[in-house]
Amino acid sequence: MKKKISILGIVFLLITLGVAIRSSAADLKSVRIGYLQNDIHQLACWVALEKGFYTQEGLEVKVAGIFKAGPELMSAFAAGALDMGYVGIAPATAAVANKAARVVVLAQANSEGSALVIRKDSPAQTLGDLKGKSLAVPGHSTVQDFLLRKAIAKAQLTDQQFSIMVIKPPEMIAALRNKDIEGFIAWEPFPAKAATGDVGRVLSPSREIWPDHPCCVLAADTQFLGSRPEEAKKMVRAHVRATDFINQHPKEIIPIALKYTGMDEKTILQALKNVKYAYALNREAEKEYVHFLSQWKFIKVEDGSAFVTRFVNLQLLNEILKK
Amino acid sequence: MTRDRILPPLFFLLIWQALSALEWIPSYKLPSPLQIVGGLKELIVVGLPPGHPLHLHLLFSLYRVGMGFALAALVAVPLGLSLGWWRRWRRIVSPLLEVIRPIPPLAWIPIAILWFGIGIQSAAFIIFLGAFFPILLNTVSGVLSINPTLIEAARTLQAKERDIFLKVLWPGAIPSIFVGLRIGMGIGWMTLVAAEFTGVREGYGLGYMIMTARDIQRADEIVAGMLIIGLIGMLIDWVIRIIERRIVRWR
Repeated sequence: MKKKISILGIVFLLITLGVAIRSSAADLKSVRIGYLQNDIHQLACWVALEKGFYTQEGLEVKVAGIFKAGPELMSAFAAGALDMGYVGIAPATAAVANKAARVVVLAQANSEGSALVIRKDSPAQTLGDLKGKSLAVPGHSTVQDFLLRKAIAKAQLTDQQFSIMVIKPPEMIAALRNKDIEGFIAWEPFPAKAATGDVGRVLSPSREIWPDHPCCVLAADTQFLGSRPEEAKKMVRAHVRATDFINQHPKEIIPIALKYTGMDEKTILQALKNVKYAYALNREAEKEYVHFLSQWKFIKVEDGSAFVTRFVNLQLLNEILKK
Repeated sequence: MTRDRILPPLFFLLIWQALSALEWIPSYKLPSPLQIVGGLKELIVVGLPPGHPLHLHLLFSLYRVGMGFALAALVAVPLGLSLGWWRRWRRIVSPLLEVIRPIPPLAWIPIAILWFGIGIQSAAFIIFLGAFFPILLNTVSGVLSINPTLIEAARTLQAKERDIFLKVLWPGAIPSIFVGLRIGMGIGWMTLVAAEFTGVREGYGLGYMIMTARDIQRADEIVAGMLIIGLIGMLIDWVIRIIERRIVRWR
């Protein structure tokens, strides 16, 4: 009898668990979005929020999460907690290729906009001078991890010649000041902040590592895109308007950037110089991400081109741009 | 008896596997037992990040926890014995300890990084904080729980303070000290994993490994890592119990 009860108990527990995991109730009215904390690449999102572009499109947008790094945001997508989000293309690629989250990229948020920073008093002039030193990245499979490895390969060096560690960007400057690391690679405005705070100096902006490389993108959950395509299109339209606004009104975006990053004006002005805001995404560049992530065994993708065709869907963007 | 121990977990795994196969439990949220075994195999063979195999993550974590725990035991046991023995000393020190005790070890992480940087020292400090209070409090209560008539009897027999301390207090408190050590090790082990989430210098550690699996969204490797942590925690507890049984033979 006892045994039967315990078996029934186990079955009940498992079914409850299954139901609980499956039912991540979506809020049907609003569009739940997420973005990265202090990441100036995602300025278009903040501009759209502040200038009311989402509201003007008839959308009710709810910020459902602000994250410290791309992988965390992709976990939220996997949990069904987000409909759309601004995130680095590399973590999005890793999450989709590893079948954790089901998202597609609808537009680019920015290209370039990261930098390799070293301590202010470091005598290093090139990456080769940093051999044997500790360098920090925001996370494995992030755009910056990718850029650093690319820079290392470009300098005909190997990853093993450096001690690469993961530190979240908000802690990077403190680690650099404490001499825990010799340098870091991060998205703006952290490199600019290290420079204006007199802690570090930029050794190479990411455009020198890979000119015009895609960075952050606007991604949508596939289920959301399938069930509410009109809202997704409005989101892309608001994104296009916000990106145009950034490029046309460089002075008006500064208070918004200040508000969302909490940083000083000098830092923001310096950071903005390093970022390109453009919505057209280069598919060939995405293929390169897929190729490298596979090569490092972070993902397993047999046919890179087919993956990119599924992963990058610029149809909505193109429809909007045609008009 | 053995059947009772093996059959229910096996049944649990079978049901879990079946629910996963039916996609009742989506694999990206909770992988199936077989997928977790696959993840574990990859952690051992390929490593995560690739080239960083599981056994090295384990060794680094054990080293960190060993350092922090040893330090906590070395400070907490003598301090606990003295606090239990001298009431005045206890009255002086208690308020300070009571203020620090409720602060979760994880809340110390930012300050630990500022004080000690990223490396063994800050990790050991966090583990020290996790392990310290359970050991201390159990040592104090061990001393306080000794029957006062035993001490009185020793005094009547002209025992010196030193003898009372070594021959009555210490053996009397030992069972309770071991309880503290076991709890302290458990909390230290839990804290370690969280401490490694904030970053490690050497690129190794079980907590760091799980964070890396999260970075690349590999739920199978995340759960495999969690199981390893659970198993090692259980093993350590088992080892401490064996040591306890050898030392506290009279129990």
